[in-house]
Amino acid sequence: MSRMIPLLKELGVDARWNIIQGNNEFFQVTKKFHNALHGRTEKITKNDFNCFQETSQKNIDEMELDGDIIFIHDPQPLALINRKEKVGGKWIWRCHIDISRPNPAVWNFLEPYVNQYDAAIFSAPAFSRQLPLRQFLISPSIDPLSDKNKELPQQTIDAVLEKYGISRDKPIITQVSRFDYLKDPVGVIQAFEIVRNHIDCQLVFAGGTATDDPESDKVLAEVRERANNNPDIHILLIPPGSDIEINALQRASTIIVQKSLSEGFGLTVSEALWKAKPVVASAVGGITLQIRDKFTGLLTYGIEGTAYDLRQLLTNPEYANWLGKNGKEYVRHRFLITRHIRDYMLLFLALEHPQDDIFYL
Amino acid sequence: MDNLITTISDNWLDIIVPIIIFGAALITLLWLRKRALLSLNRIINKSNWPGNRILIHSLKRPSIFWCIIISALLALAASSTTTYWKNIIAKGFWSVFIITFTFALITIINGFSAIILLQYKQHKNVINLVKNILMVIVITIGIFILLDTWAISTTYLLISIIIILIILALVFRDIAPNIIASIQLNTAGQFKVGDYIKIESGEEGYIAATGWRNIELKTLEDNTIIIPNNRLTRSTIVNYGHLLKKASEPFRFNNRMHLTRLTGLKARNLQELADILKNAPDDIVYYHTHHFLEEQYYTVPQLSNDFAVWVDTALGDDILAERLASIGPFDFPGIGALRDRLVGIINEYINTTNNFREAEPGRDFYFMTTVSVIIPTTYVAHDLREFTEALRKISLGSLYFHIFESKLRLGKGLNDFTVWINDDLGEKELADEIARIDPYTYTLEGLRSSLIQRIEKRIK
Repeated sequence: MSRMIPLLKELGVDARWNIIQGNNEFFQVTKKFHNALHGRTEKITKNDFNCFQETSQKNIDEMELDGDIIFIHDPQPLALINRKEKVGGKWIWRCHIDISRPNPAVWNFLEPYVNQYDAAIFSAPAFSRQLPLRQFLISPSIDPLSDKNKELPQQTIDAVLEKYGISRDKPIITQVSRFDYLKDPVGVIQAFEIVRNHIDCQLVFAGGTATDDPESDKVLAEVRERANNNPDIHILLIPPGSDIEINALQRASTIIVQKSLSEGFGLTVSEALWKAKPVVASAVGGITLQIRDKFTGLLTYGIEGTAYDLRQLLTNPEYANWLGKNGKEYVRHRFLITRHIRDYMLLFLALEHPQDDIFYL
Repeated sequence: MDNLITTISDNWLDIIVPIIIFGAALITLLWLRKRALLSLNRIINKSNWPGNRILIHSLKRPSIFWCIIISALLALAASSTTTYWKNIIAKGFWSVFIITFTFALITIINGFSAIILLQYKQHKNVINLVKNILMVIVITIGIFILLDTWAISTTYLLISIIIILIILALVFRDIAPNIIASIQLNTAGQFKVGDYIKIESGEEGYIAATGWRNIELKTLEDNTIIIPNNRLTRSTIVNYGHLLKKASEPFRFNNRMHLTRLTGLKARNLQELADILKNAPDDIVYYHTHHFLEEQYYTVPQLSNDFAVWVDTALGDDILAERLASIGPFDFPGIGALRDRLVGIINEYINTTNNFREAEPGRDFYFMTTVSVIIPTTYVAHDLREFTEALRKISLGSLYFHIFESKLRLGKGLNDFTVWINDDLGEKELADEIARIDPYTYTLEGLRSSLIQRIEKRIK
């Protein structure tokens, strides 16, 4: 959003960005909702629903909301739709997660809110479901000029490797993601260990902990325990805002892996592809939109498959480079911020023609 | 009076002899002139060159003066006049000869240039320039000879002329290369007013006017570009030739942008795919049989559709995938017939193979369509050349809209280009040729090139 808002303003759209407020309990609940919507079994109590409604009501009462078009991102602020009558305008729900097979209790609770929106946006076709409102497919994007994606001088990359004690002499396999069970960090370590039995290489698992994800500390502890002080496994807790460091780690990598069990869109894959890196990633969520198997990367379905693909790429660097090159072109045409902005502008126009699938300006 | 009579009676011989010589010489010379002109006329009548007549016409009158002058000079030589006066009178006659000769030459130059101009109208500027330069040279030489005849010094005049020439060269030093370039361009005759040209630096348009210093180009957007002549002689220029037939209505290029709309409908196996497809709106069928055309713009052409890809990758059935992939939408008059064929193939396959494979969760077939926004562009074509130039510049989205979406999604039955070329330009043959192109076997860039190639061939 921090990259989109200035560009929208440049185009004459008076765009603003507000954040809802919530306490730790609220975020515990929304994390459960998040997992449940992804299809994971979660124990949801009546208190959880009450907590969600109370915090939502507080935000409904206190939040400054006005505009011709209101974008609501993710399920957490979904209930703000209750302000629609007062505020007016067109309301869009930007859903970043997979709601195709949700926990029925959570979905039944949230669905009445969703149905009040004028349109919903999903990052992948598989995330959608039949709804009584128009649904659009708009993939997220990366900004190639941001700190996370811009070109870096070799000195910067070397400095970051040195800082974290990562050797340049061995191939580097990297996963960049939050410490979250859905990113399967333990599975990544297991796949790495299989590869390590045959090829001398190292694993970098770089991630942060999200403020709205109370689970992440627990996951980090488990991952560290599983790494078992293996000198070739680098578990890096990267502080927020360290985009240059993430960029440097991705650019220093030989292969980038994204072994998620479930995924929204998985922008880290786009970031890796943009850096022309060969990517091995799970065939879940939006990753399948970014990786055309064996053309822009390799799609996998399990730990053994991931290990096999990693070995293939480590021993066939020309093939790995070819995948990386294709991946970069793929991202250039589909997942850069300019395409994203264009889609938003088209969406604004589409909202003005709710009945038409084709219209002239 | 008495003195005069006395002088004449004393010197009658000195007077009568020159008069007789003058008369005899004049009669003889006029007779010779007439004979010469008659002979010249006979020769001219055998030749068709119009310059001959100019030559005779220019010499006819001055030659009378020349006969008189020669006769007078002969008479003068026989007279008893003093040498001093003889010299002065001879110089006078010589001066008259120089002047009439100069005028005769000027008349000849004028006449010849008029003839050349009739044949080479496009080089009017050059011919006039050469004519004026020759006339100035002839007059200048005439003046110099006259001055020399009367023993007047020509040194100062020569120096003055040189100084004037130097000043002119300095004043017009920037213009001179353009004038010289103009002569080069006109002499070469590589283009003319009305031609459509494209210069290597990118400027292009119809030549509206040519001049000594520059040419004026009229662009397709109706702007005027002024290009100095000496830049043209140093550039590579493509000349597309003359003006072409104008269309009764111009072709206005539109651009098309789209947003993918999800329907929430999905299929997990072949039976579900066939059942949903059977009742799916045309927009959905159109999307799944066409969107790959835009997706593959940097890869190679491949006959494909989403149904074939899904059957192959999600159900692992490459036999059915191949059958579905081989269905070319170009062979069907509309989306309805295409849908019937797809459903027919799937149902037939289910019946013969009992394929009940299911896709993995998350790998279902998701039915989608698009919201298309059609936006007018600034490109407008009134003839085939303007059309070709616009075709080079429009976006691939624009090309896609006019070839595919307009024909099938808007249900026009033919692509927009074919309709315009046939209905508004009356170029039926070209329209038919474009209608016969199977656009599904090209990448969009390849299709663009193919269309340009065919239209350019027609222009030539």
